[in-house]
Amino acid sequence: MKQSRAEIVAFVGGQILPHEADVRAWLRRSGSVAADIDDVIQETYCRLAALDSIAHITSGRAYFFRTARNIAIEKIRRARIVRIDCVTEIDALNVVDDEPSPERVVAGRRELGRVQQLIEGLPERCRQIFTLRRIHGLSQRETALRLGVTENVVEMQSARGLRLILRALSEAAAQDHSVVGKAHEPHSVRKRD
Amino acid sequence: MNPIPSASEIDEEASDWAARVDARDLDVEHDPELQAWLKGDARRAGALLRAQAAISFLDRGRALAGAAPPAQAVPVADRPSRRALIAGAGGAAAALVGGIGLWSARPQRLDTRLGEIRRVPLADGSLVAINTKTALEVAMKPKSRRVVLKEGEAWFQVAKDPERPFVVAAGPVRVRAVGTAFSVRRGDEAGAGVDVMVTEGVVEAWVEGDPAPRRRMSAGSRIVLASAVSPAVAESPSEIERSLAWRNGEIALDGESLEQAARLFNRYNSRQIVIEDPVLARERFVGLFQTNEPESFAAAVAATLGAVVKDDAEVIRIGRARIS
Repeated sequence: MKQSRAEIVAFVGGQILPHEADVRAWLRRSGSVAADIDDVIQETYCRLAALDSIAHITSGRAYFFRTARNIAIEKIRRARIVRIDCVTEIDALNVVDDEPSPERVVAGRRELGRVQQLIEGLPERCRQIFTLRRIHGLSQRETALRLGVTENVVEMQSARGLRLILRALSEAAAQDHSVVGKAHEPHSVRKRD
Repeated sequence: MNPIPSASEIDEEASDWAARVDARDLDVEHDPELQAWLKGDARRAGALLRAQAAISFLDRGRALAGAAPPAQAVPVADRPSRRALIAGAGGAAAALVGGIGLWSARPQRLDTRLGEIRRVPLADGSLVAINTKTALEVAMKPKSRRVVLKEGEAWFQVAKDPERPFVVAAGPVRVRAVGTAFSVRRGDEAGAGVDVMVTEGVVEAWVEGDPAPRRRMSAGSRIVLASAVSPAVAESPSEIERSLAWRNGEIALDGESLEQAARLFNRYNSRQIVIEDPVLARERFVGLFQTNEPESFAAAVAATLGAVVKDDAEVIRIGRARIS
């Protein structure tokens, strides 16, 4: 059954995007360079965008890791540059934390904290607009009226804020997710101060 | 000649488009300008999905939070009236979900087929996960949010709105919430009752026409109402999480009998499991399976309990190995 775009967007927002920082961190640990990571992530979303239905995806996190891994391996193979560490790279990509488990439940409160953190990190005007639009659920028009600006300004600021939030989502060290995942980081040791 | 744009350049353009789609309620599939942009580079579709997903992610925050943030987060003194806020919330959510359950008085029907599991955002910012073979009706009204569970099971993550109670009706049973998460399941057989499990916050549950006082239940508690046995609230957070594994398309068994396990799988699949031996049917089993893979369950049972599996297109029979 074909699902509506709204359903797919909601699924990606709730089950895929929150894990992006973890997938990026894992790709980094596997030795990928920044530009490649951007490409792998983008292609993963492209594959999701091409789906008619996401009903078969039982764990967004596992799906994200698996797809990113496949794309990364394809890229390494396509590069056709025989390098001594190629095999190691592919091996490194095999260490994937993608085991779904019944106790990995939607951690609503933590997610909420993350949303608030993201919005609070925006420049003042953006922050006001995002608070009204996304937290209070005002329309663009109502937001413009409240702030005494034109709708155009609201839209421009929304786009700007969205860019910043997407950047923050991809850069977030995902500390707040370490509880959700398992001890899946054999190569990295996080220092605690 | 233009150099090939980088992933992050595409992301920036996609953010502009996502903001525009959200602000103007554009139809992604039919807006000619947007479609032209998407066709210009295969990577743009992914970037747009990601940017729209980020907006949806932020909106989930509202669904989860329910309550308004502290007053100082609102920049202007003249806070809008509660009604304006509610109307705004509905508008934004409706724009986001492309018209699922607008403010119409006509209830919206949500059904799932055998084996189908759906997650659907509602117009008020709530989320509903609908289990196999379920029929729901959702009516969003200015003063109330009402869901009728005609059959099956659903889990609700309710956006907080004290002025619009969220009530789920399942037969004579009513479950009321203001901002919380809980599931309601109607048993298949007559007299099986309605199983209510609370995963977050507090709900009130009662049976229509029953003089017994309403029960307040908090996270981690469970009750079966309107069944043959008298109801009692049980505290079983881990069991509840396990019972709700279907939200991830999974069945988590932890000491259920094979008979109970077979009944669970049979809720999702036309290919039914039959445990042929009564002694075997009482054996207890532990494991995590996909709802749509009864074969894996049968194989695991065969391997661990030495059972014999005979299957055809319609039935998977699990029997005892003949001792010779």
